[in-house]
Amino acid sequence: MITSRRALIAMAAAAMAGAMMPQASFAQDKKTLAFVVNVPADFWQIARRGTEKAQKELPKYNIEFYIPGEMSAAAQKRILEDLLAKGVSGVSISPVNPDNSTDILNQVASKAALFTQDADAPKSNRLLYIGTDNVAAGRQAGEQMMKALPNGGKAMVFVGTMDAANARERLQGIKEVIAGSKIEIIDVRTDGGDQAKAKANVEDTLTKYPNIDLLVGLWAYNTPQIYNAVKAAGKESKVKIVGFDEDQQTLKGISEGVIDATVVQQPYEFGYQSMIYLAKYLEGDKSFIPENKQKIIPTKVIDKSNVKDFAAEVRELLKK
Amino acid sequence: MSDTLLELRSITKTYPGVKALRGVNLSVKKGEVVGLIGENGAGKSTLMKILGGVVSPSSGSIVIDGVSRLELTVKDAAHAGIAFVHQELNLFENLDVASNIYIGREPRKGGFLNLIDNAALHERVKPILMQLGVDFTPEDSVEELSIAQRQMVEIAKALSMESRIIIMDEPTSSLTLTETENLLRVIADLKAAGVSIIYISHRLSEVQQCADRVVVLRDGRQVGELAKDEITHGAMVRLMIGRDLKSIYVPPNVGVRPGGLELHDLVTTAFPERKVSLHVRRGEILGLAGLVGAGRTSLAQTIFGVEPAPSGRILLDGERLTIGSPRDAIAHGIYLAPEDRKKSGLLLDMSIAENITLPDLKRFSTAMLIDVSREEGVAKEQLRALAIKAPSIATEAVTLSGGNQQKVVLAKWLSMRPKLIILDEPTRGIDVGAKSEIYALMRDLADAGVAILMISSDMEEVIGVSDRIAVMHEGDISGQLERPQFSEHNILTLAVGNPSKEELVAYA
Amino acid sequence: MLKKELGLLILILVIGALTAAINPQFVSQVNLMNLANQIGLFGLISIGVGLVIITGGIELSVGSMFALLGIFFLDMLVNHEIVWPLALVVAILGGVALGGIHGLLVTRLKMQPFVVTLCGLLLYRGIARWYTADSTQGFGYGDSYETLEWLMSGRTYNIPHTFIFLLIVATIMGVVLHRSVYGRYLFAVGKNEEAARFSGIPTKAVITGAYVIAGTLAGLSSVFFVFYTQSVSPSAHGNFYELYAIAAAVLGGCSLRGGEGSIIGIVLGTVLLQVLQNLVNMLGIPSSLNFAVMGAVILLGVLADQQLQRRRQRQLAMASAEARNLAKEGAAGAAV
Repeated sequence: MITSRRALIAMAAAAMAGAMMPQASFAQDKKTLAFVVNVPADFWQIARRGTEKAQKELPKYNIEFYIPGEMSAAAQKRILEDLLAKGVSGVSISPVNPDNSTDILNQVASKAALFTQDADAPKSNRLLYIGTDNVAAGRQAGEQMMKALPNGGKAMVFVGTMDAANARERLQGIKEVIAGSKIEIIDVRTDGGDQAKAKANVEDTLTKYPNIDLLVGLWAYNTPQIYNAVKAAGKESKVKIVGFDEDQQTLKGISEGVIDATVVQQPYEFGYQSMIYLAKYLEGDKSFIPENKQKIIPTKVIDKSNVKDFAAEVRELLKK
Repeated sequence: MSDTLLELRSITKTYPGVKALRGVNLSVKKGEVVGLIGENGAGKSTLMKILGGVVSPSSGSIVIDGVSRLELTVKDAAHAGIAFVHQELNLFENLDVASNIYIGREPRKGGFLNLIDNAALHERVKPILMQLGVDFTPEDSVEELSIAQRQMVEIAKALSMESRIIIMDEPTSSLTLTETENLLRVIADLKAAGVSIIYISHRLSEVQQCADRVVVLRDGRQVGELAKDEITHGAMVRLMIGRDLKSIYVPPNVGVRPGGLELHDLVTTAFPERKVSLHVRRGEILGLAGLVGAGRTSLAQTIFGVEPAPSGRILLDGERLTIGSPRDAIAHGIYLAPEDRKKSGLLLDMSIAENITLPDLKRFSTAMLIDVSREEGVAKEQLRALAIKAPSIATEAVTLSGGNQQKVVLAKWLSMRPKLIILDEPTRGIDVGAKSEIYALMRDLADAGVAILMISSDMEEVIGVSDRIAVMHEGDISGQLERPQFSEHNILTLAVGNPSKEELVAYA
Repeated sequence: MLKKELGLLILILVIGALTAAINPQFVSQVNLMNLANQIGLFGLISIGVGLVIITGGIELSVGSMFALLGIFFLDMLVNHEIVWPLALVVAILGGVALGGIHGLLVTRLKMQPFVVTLCGLLLYRGIARWYTADSTQGFGYGDSYETLEWLMSGRTYNIPHTFIFLLIVATIMGVVLHRSVYGRYLFAVGKNEEAARFSGIPTKAVITGAYVIAGTLAGLSSVFFVFYTQSVSPSAHGNFYELYAIAAAVLGGCSLRGGEGSIIGIVLGTVLLQVLQNLVNMLGIPSSLNFAVMGAVILLGVLADQQLQRRRQRQLAMASAEARNLAKEGAAGAAV
């Protein structure tokens, strides 16, 4: 009974595995380059377009894109182990937990070319980091906050969790800029990634601090939830909003004038440049690696002046 | 035989508002079987709880091996060699026999790893099982054992603890006749080996058979003690209820009427190779006797639609029925008072009223909403009609005595114009007084034209209540008896599967 | 039975009073209406899950249902431009269908509710993510759906529609659970399925019905949530919401063993959970402590309830002894 049940499960598992195996991975004659992200998000859809462009330019390589089921170092580790088992040549990864993933990252670095992107792991043997300088991005946001509140005021910050490096760095950048100004950050409210909770946090803040001047969303979904809550409370004209990333609603909010500005990264470039440079490295060219092993893709400020063009660009990239 | 192991002296136990025991004396000598009888609520369980160290007496003393003390702890009781074989068996079905016998006392090995020494365990259990002469091994899983076999496991457990006094509480309530015989034989063997037994039972013939002495309790008092030669059925009943019990058979006032339930070649899932044909007429009580496992309960559940019949025909008043679920059976006026009241007959946490109206709730509702006043009206009516003793119809069923619980089960069906009522072990665990009330109720129903099929393993009940008896053996009806043929001998002959007519003796 | 709900209400009032004493804005109209909105959003599904719990089952897949049905609803509305009443009905019917499947798997194929709905949790989340290729689905730049938006997230006399819907649904379900034949059957089945079947109750239909109701309410709430968050990110939308629903039901007196619970209790359980979340923000308690506050209060609430239950059991035992005494004395007259 037990054995037959086990056999049944094994058969089912085998059948599933067969059905879901990406066909491309069987093409062993080509070298494989892998782009590993941290969590499912629109942001990475744009990066995927970048890797797709790179694939067109690199016909000799087989480029694969990996999205872990949930945001955990464990899920990422499993992907990396599978990649090593398959014999991958180059990996560009956004590590979920860089400080504690050194072992597995070095294991990858010993067998393949390893880049980090989006989030750096400076303690590992990665060859290059391609990505945003989040502290710099925070400074840009800080400048927009100063611009929105030239006479100072009270601000509240919203984010998923503060244990993420990008959240800490962005906040650090903001604080550097506003230090000494009359802008005061009252508190940081976290939501653990739950969007409904993110919106409730904003609603509660608007209630608790009826005279709040500025709301800042550090993660991509925070800004649209700020926008929704502020509109629902009818406080569009009273509260300033500065955010990060390029969610549809964020861009809509900017064109309506409800949101002052957002600082956007260029994930397209993460995807494209990672793959192109990995291929170069594998072909023996190491000249592009700078002394500090960091290749910073600058962040851009989107405000009412340039939102129309940018929105069109994003829509084009996200088109299926 | 003179050395007294245990003596209880003028034990009194008072609960708030209730005097459970009032100055009870009980002594047990080495190698003696003491029968302890009394109606439910007479104080037997409280007395036994005191012996087990679960309850402390309010006053009195307990003398063990000449040492007197005021109370026992559970540990003291075990240390004194007192063991219980409970009415509700306390075994782990997922473990084997040996593990159950030595649960909590397993022989160990492997030092700090604390592994169970299975070899030693089985070695220790074997001689005990041999002594009891059982037909299973230490390795058998308890799950696969019959209730009688499980009881033997409990007795083996008691012996493994070198118990000197084994208390058996209703040990035969779920046993068949042969299994009961076997248990009584084991009791005789234990007695010969010097083990003392306190035997608690409602089944007086068994007590009569095995006890050296009988102690009778009534309302917390010790109302009498019978020496071996004084133990008779009549004497015991007289002491228990304080009056004589008439012969329980009441003949029908109205004769048997046509119609009723007919089974033609009915197959049950329990015995797929057997075909059962049977006729229960309106106005009669048909007793269905047989050994436990003979297929009586399966037959009842098949008729009631719990386990729909794979083939065969069920006719009620000549009309063929298709019964795929209890719902279908109920729609046709076929009702079952199941064997296990607490598990399948009642919703213990619900009130009397809710239990009574459950099967016919739509009758008490308008537009699918329950009309509470109508519901309560019917419940009150039934409470009065059946003399259910409870503070109110809102009382939860769990607080009722067994007899009153059974009355609630019957009350459910009575307001729904029954055509056929199947009663599976209707009086198991019910005291003498409530029993006769239930018998009277059954007779009234029969007289009112209901066909009654009564499954019972209680010989007195089958013989005393039925108008006709059908006996089952391994899924077959092995024979049917008319009243003049009623006797334990005849029923047993058919129950063990001997249908030759010559064996049956007419009632003299 | 009512004592339990009363206890919960008192607990809510005490917590509310303490919070208001520290920060009077807690009882401001704006905050109360925000709170009502949250209660409305989470209350619907708590009622659904509560009914399933009363049958002795469990429903773990509601969070994933929100993601899947939310995605489908938005997809119909935005990408396929289906008229909103139809899209709304289809989303609700989707919930009905999923609930029905759960019910049939549990009753007909006799699978354990935990397993069935755990697989649902994984399956629906996975399908939602696969269908959208993990991208967030929003209303886009195109049309707005004013009528529907007003219906699902608007306010009347400043009372959020979500809350009004909850009151309507709670009233209906309260009558169904506590006054109707179906409700009585539901309790009976949850208490003792076998005895219920022996009483001729169509137990399978009753249990399936509870899953269907839960599915229906999940379908309805998924649309409410879409309008609350304005977009659905398939990997995160509704994560853990099944646990909020279960917590509310348990706080409200539903026993995971089945057969116990009330609509008022479930609604009050939801109120307490949302008050706790709100007070964390209103008192400026660090957000990180949010879950800890919730966990601690649920634990204490259930613990207190259990102590009360135990006292009740003792009283019951006394009543039982009395009833037996009564029986012995044969006081039949006192029976009525």
